[in-house]
Amino acid sequence: MRKRSQNTRTTPPAGPSIIRDYALLPGVPDEMLDASGALRPGWDKLMAAFDALGPAELSARFERADQYLRDAGVFYRKYDGAEGKERAWPLAHIPLLIHEAEWQTISTGLTQRAELLEKIVADIYGDNRLVQEGLLPPELVAQNGEFLRPLVGVKPTSGHFLHFCAFELGRGPDGAWWVLGDRMQAPSGAGFALENRVATTRALSDIYGEMNIQRLAGFFRDFRDHLFAQAKRDGGRVGILTPGQLNETYFEHAYIARYLGLMLLEGEDLVVENGQVMVRTVAGLKPVSVLWRRMDSSFVDPLELRYDSRIGTPGMVEAVRSGSISMINGLGTGILETRALSAFMPRLCEHLLGAGLQLPEIATWWCGQRSERDFVLDNFDNLMLGPAFATTLPFDDLRGTALGSSMTAEQKTLLRQRIAENGRHYVGQEPVQLSTAPVYVDGKLEPRPITLRVFASRTERGWTLMPGGFARVGSTPDTTALAMQRGGQAADVWVVSSSPVEQISLLPQEGDRLVRNSAGSLPSRAADNLIWLGRYAERCEATVRILRAYNARLAELSKPDLPILTHCAAFLDSIDVDASEAMPQGLLVSINSAVHSAGQIRDRFSPDGWLALNDLQKTAQRFATRIQGGDDATRAMTVILRKLAGFSGLVHENMYRFAGWRFLEIGRRLERAIQTARIASALSGDDAPDGSLEMLLEIGDSVMSHRRRYSVTAGTQSAIDLLVLDPLNPRSVLFQLTELRTQLEELPGGIRDGQLSTVAKAALELQTRLIIAEPEAITPEVLENIANEIGMLAGLIAAHYFT
Amino acid sequence: MLYDLRLTLTYDYDAPVHGGRHHIRVAPSSVPGHQRVIASSLSFFPKPQRATSFIDFFGNMVSDVSFVEPHEKFEVRLTARVQVEDHVERSDVSPTMDQLALEVERYWSVQPDSPQHFLAASPRVQLAPDIKDYASAQSAHADTVLGKAMALCLAIHRDFEYDPKATDVETKPAEAFVLKKGVCQDFAHVMIAGLRGLGVPAGYVSGFLRTLPPPGKARLEGADAMHAWVRVWCGTTMGWVEFDPTNAMMAGGDHIAIGHGRDYADVSPIVGVLRTHGSHETRQSVDVIRIE
Repeated sequence: MRKRSQNTRTTPPAGPSIIRDYALLPGVPDEMLDASGALRPGWDKLMAAFDALGPAELSARFERADQYLRDAGVFYRKYDGAEGKERAWPLAHIPLLIHEAEWQTISTGLTQRAELLEKIVADIYGDNRLVQEGLLPPELVAQNGEFLRPLVGVKPTSGHFLHFCAFELGRGPDGAWWVLGDRMQAPSGAGFALENRVATTRALSDIYGEMNIQRLAGFFRDFRDHLFAQAKRDGGRVGILTPGQLNETYFEHAYIARYLGLMLLEGEDLVVENGQVMVRTVAGLKPVSVLWRRMDSSFVDPLELRYDSRIGTPGMVEAVRSGSISMINGLGTGILETRALSAFMPRLCEHLLGAGLQLPEIATWWCGQRSERDFVLDNFDNLMLGPAFATTLPFDDLRGTALGSSMTAEQKTLLRQRIAENGRHYVGQEPVQLSTAPVYVDGKLEPRPITLRVFASRTERGWTLMPGGFARVGSTPDTTALAMQRGGQAADVWVVSSSPVEQISLLPQEGDRLVRNSAGSLPSRAADNLIWLGRYAERCEATVRILRAYNARLAELSKPDLPILTHCAAFLDSIDVDASEAMPQGLLVSINSAVHSAGQIRDRFSPDGWLALNDLQKTAQRFATRIQGGDDATRAMTVILRKLAGFSGLVHENMYRFAGWRFLEIGRRLERAIQTARIASALSGDDAPDGSLEMLLEIGDSVMSHRRRYSVTAGTQSAIDLLVLDPLNPRSVLFQLTELRTQLEELPGGIRDGQLSTVAKAALELQTRLIIAEPEAITPEVLENIANEIGMLAGLIAAHYFT
Repeated sequence: MLYDLRLTLTYDYDAPVHGGRHHIRVAPSSVPGHQRVIASSLSFFPKPQRATSFIDFFGNMVSDVSFVEPHEKFEVRLTARVQVEDHVERSDVSPTMDQLALEVERYWSVQPDSPQHFLAASPRVQLAPDIKDYASAQSAHADTVLGKAMALCLAIHRDFEYDPKATDVETKPAEAFVLKKGVCQDFAHVMIAGLRGLGVPAGYVSGFLRTLPPPGKARLEGADAMHAWVRVWCGTTMGWVEFDPTNAMMAGGDHIAIGHGRDYADVSPIVGVLRTHGSHETRQSVDVIRIE
């Protein structure tokens, strides 16, 4: 970019004291202050408000924003080692303010750009006139890994390849916004932008309310309407296609699915039948007609794209070819992210739209052309050099892109030689300088470089921009764009209007027709995970209750070789729990498994439930490092039991009674029935040592009930009656079977034409056996059989609903 | 020359397969000036629940078959009658390497036959410096593209041992190059990697060889299974010319082409996704009978 001479300000600005020490960087435009040092529109109000709050209150408010993000569990995954770790979202607390007049310029420019990119990609997969007419070098298409040959000649059923795009912008030294890169493959960040907004307004709600800031909800509402409008034609479902929970932005996929009411789908949830994409649900296969794709195109179909993809759906390309599925964005659009394409955009714009680019982009020289190659070699030190076919942004590309002058003599020689021999693989680009915006560091404002990520979506009215987005804020004052490689923070972006803005919510407006989604859309995989979540949570509870009873007696009697203790330890051993460990590994495994199952279905959970479960896991891990057996462990198990109850309560009280809740409930009931039957079997036999029945009643949480109902000391029959056969005791085996039967009948296909499904029948059969049984007939062997048959019922449910 | 082809591909599964989907590329198609398909018929056993077909980017016929019912065996049977033109010796009017670079640069097309698709690394052919150096040394004496391609074709035949046990279908060209052993697929991949390393567009051809040699001639290597060879873009005037490094010859009247692509991955006779726990065994039987 061209440098602009600028006078360095010498006198401190008037106005709010908070900006008094804010030192502009020489020659670098700033978002908050103009060249004369005066506050730009909007910033004056914000800074005056900051001043009024004072440093202590301001810090407290920023902490509130961070607390919100922690509570909401906002994270992203970063891959810097063998395993990706979940990281807290790095919020920069001060929003970036952009006035609506300037926003309008960005909006017009990006609308033009989206239209241009649509024409380019339609040509690449269509008539290929751009190559034939010499406007686009054939190498950039034919030798491009993002050029997906199976999609050549396939027109998207919606008529468009692009529906949702993101752009990375930077403000150059001349004060104008520049396009640094296009994200067209599967752009991420829109969900994080929303969370940024929620977090920032949590801290600054009063200021936000008074400043005429444009709302984001309308943008999402319009895009949701656009997605559903495409689905309406054929009545299929709308889903987000995610690579799964190991993806770096999985949180966002789950968040947006929940926010917009879309199904969160993975490749294995889908199957292509007769050219139609179907989702496996607990009510059978259901058609899907729109997929908002959040995985790279080449992974969606192992049959026609990447053969090694393990996250795809065989036949997906066929479904695209047959026009039965609308992909958002179309398969193959990743080719638009090719870095070398930048070199041709100005000419393509002139050719395709008959006008110049309204927003300029980084000057780029593709070394596949002789004169351009010579230029790059002649100006080597002054250019950013990188791979021509890269689809990453230059400042996200840590290994591949660097400034010529920053290289060692050896690196220079090697790269120069490679460019000379194999020019088509390289580009030279003008190094980008960015503008600065304030961040709050140790009670002071400091300038940091920023880039802006802006989102555009196709709606019924054409392209619209999210009035906001997020800004990436550099970690050092270095304003060369490449310095952004060193990471940083993300700030909310406020588009400031001069007049009051429309208040929009995603809740239905008056006049909207109320549409209820049918309950039959629960994907089988999600249902399977819900069952296992229920089972693991219940398994934890059963284990914790036994451990507590064991440790309480250990503390009281302090003789580990007492028969009741060895007997109990042997039972624990049979379920892979080592009683000699105060916080047994076996219990931690169950807790981790519950968290893992819950992690697969985060779109179906309230953040509260998820946080409760995470809190439980952290507590258990902390205990593992420091508690002792006996008294200490007894108390620890009580804490864990309470946290488990907290989780169950949150789920039970707050989860809508859709099929999802039923599967969770089925998992809990199955596991509780099995665990109760097993422990009752172990503690009620003739060989059970003294004190077994008391222990059984304690583990079954039924000491009080027993006293009230039988007013005698525990006998085998009264204990069995209460814990196995009592229809009113919520911990008895019969109670679980009754609940199971009810839930199974309520599931899709549970009762059809008055006929029970096979699984509901199996539950009824077990339930009936217990209803008519007498306590004396319930021997330990019978209990073992019951536990096994309930285990088989679980297998039957899985076979019926998940395959 | 007129040939009758018979191909049977058999998959025996260890455990019953519950559903599966395959793309099958075994049917020959007509190539103007080289071969003409007179009749072709493809059948599958057991009968798939659904079978459709389409033509892929490089012009290959693809059958898309899906199974829902469990099955323990899958068989593909092809019978076809194909008329093949004999190889005609042409004088070498291919360009020098410098001229070739210019001709490629001026080839403004990404149509399936464009040399532009055949210069970069492709799914199964990575560009390895040692293969490039070998190609460069072996072809140094030749001036033209055709001359260099022939030199490399002969060198591979001379330096590599035909050994079906040394490699398998997944072997990378760089591994086969180190072993100096392999089968037609390996030789073709090594030749392609070498040529692309030099900047010569090169692609992969799958197909059949006549089973019985003409009287007095030796039986060709690889005639009892599907075969593979290489096509090389020898400039705008000559276009694509086919070389068989396994038999040190130009492909001609004995070669019946099925698939064209950048490498094996584009023409692999069967690509499938199965729902099974076991592995499988594959058998192939090929008969190519000359009728006249």
